[in-house]
Amino acid sequence: MTETRRYTRTHEWVAPADVPGEWNVGITDFAQKEVTDVVFVELPKVGRTLPRGGEAAIIESVKAAFSIYAPASGTIVAVNPDLESDPGLLNRDPYGKGWIFRFKAGHPEEINDLMDEGAYAKFLKDGGGHPEHG
Amino acid sequence: MTLPLHNVHLREGGHMVDFHGFDLPVRFSSILEECRRVREQAGVFDISHMGHFVVRGKDALGAVDRLITSDLEKVPSGKALYGHLLNDAGGVIDDIMAYHFGRERVDLVVNASNREEDAGWIRKHLPAGILLEDCSPGHVGIALQGPGAVRVLEDVLPGVLDMRRRETRLLRIDGADEFLVGRTGYTGEDGWEFFGPAGTGVSFYEKLLSVGKKKENLVPCGLGARDLLRLEMGYPLYGQELGPALSPFDAGLDFAVSRTKGEFVGRSAILEIGGNPRIDPTHPVLGGFVVEGRGIPRTGCEIETTDGIHVGEVTSGGFSPRVGSGFGLAYLDRKFFGSFKAGAEGRVRVHGNSLPIRYRAWPFFSSGRPVPSGPAP
Repeated sequence: MTETRRYTRTHEWVAPADVPGEWNVGITDFAQKEVTDVVFVELPKVGRTLPRGGEAAIIESVKAAFSIYAPASGTIVAVNPDLESDPGLLNRDPYGKGWIFRFKAGHPEEINDLMDEGAYAKFLKDGGGHPEHG
Repeated sequence: MTLPLHNVHLREGGHMVDFHGFDLPVRFSSILEECRRVREQAGVFDISHMGHFVVRGKDALGAVDRLITSDLEKVPSGKALYGHLLNDAGGVIDDIMAYHFGRERVDLVVNASNREEDAGWIRKHLPAGILLEDCSPGHVGIALQGPGAVRVLEDVLPGVLDMRRRETRLLRIDGADEFLVGRTGYTGEDGWEFFGPAGTGVSFYEKLLSVGKKKENLVPCGLGARDLLRLEMGYPLYGQELGPALSPFDAGLDFAVSRTKGEFVGRSAILEIGGNPRIDPTHPVLGGFVVEGRGIPRTGCEIETTDGIHVGEVTSGGFSPRVGSGFGLAYLDRKFFGSFKAGAEGRVRVHGNSLPIRYRAWPFFSSGRPVPSGPAP
């Protein structure tokens, strides 16, 4: 699972879903620790088409709102309904039950451009971005 | 700029952010958890960024009284008083706490962002022979807050337990440096604030932390919790609810203005000769609101009528489980405010969505744990 997972510089992860060509997206463990105190998640509408880097969802925490960007271009095919009633899933299980949305990739090669686990770990070690605003 | 408690915060896992040029922890664990501890048990805050001035000289009290909106002459010695410094147009230069220590000494605690300007402005307005000393560089400010604060101090500084609400003292902690101590705070809970030199201040903070953790489940708290706790009480924050273009009455802080005291800077701009407030109808007025449904308003979000007409702007907003929804403070068009207060629905624009809001008077939350209060001033 972790071998096929890819990461963005804005701390989303993307991993293949059960249906070929579809991908799940969530936020990384680093991101959930920074965000903390999630109050709710504004999920995208199924069927919406997004460009790479387009704003797909908004996580509202006590401190601030955090935008979740599409790791690659594509169309939303599902959202995680459990986040509506239990947004804390994002904090408790960011790579599993805390997934945010599933999309059908428009240009799957865009996903190959993302960081693998080793590259993301190095990115964090080098101080890669800090989603917490002052 | 780092402050004396910086390394202690790093050790405690503080997430540091820049706040008006100072490196301060925004949170340690989570903002909601820190708020809950302060409401139910105890929390400790680093407030070393705040400015601390000492004004000394013959009739320093009368001189400071002529610079603030509230009536320092009516407060007994040993009491703290909230008030505003005004410009000639009646706008707020800063909101401050004044600590009465007899006619020859008044201490002031001012906002970090205004410290240097305040010091210059006050010095300019003080008569010859009265001196302002800025004790802030190198000092430590600590706020111990929460219903468990009493039990923490039983073991650390029992001599302050007989203080009443807003009582203030100068005392030597550990027999060393002199500290300004007040039974005051910015959370709505019982608590104490301390200002004094860094050496003793850091070891005193460490003592509060270790005793408090063992005895009262105390946690160190950051600016995030401080902001949410004050917002639950509807306390203003300079730069958001207060500024040089609006008066204390615009901010709904009528209590901070004495209508019976003598002359003070800005008086004629905000009070009629008889003492009634002088309101500029073109100025907006501060009001509280709660969001109906999902959504967290933030500073700068627009307020609209149900017809989509712009009528104001959020100054501070947030979400707390004690309020149960998004809520905030906003400067509102006076005409809209009248109908809003009477029950009309309004809207706040959050991420492009228009969410219904209703008027709510502050405090948004009341702890219901009154602490002994002193004799009425």
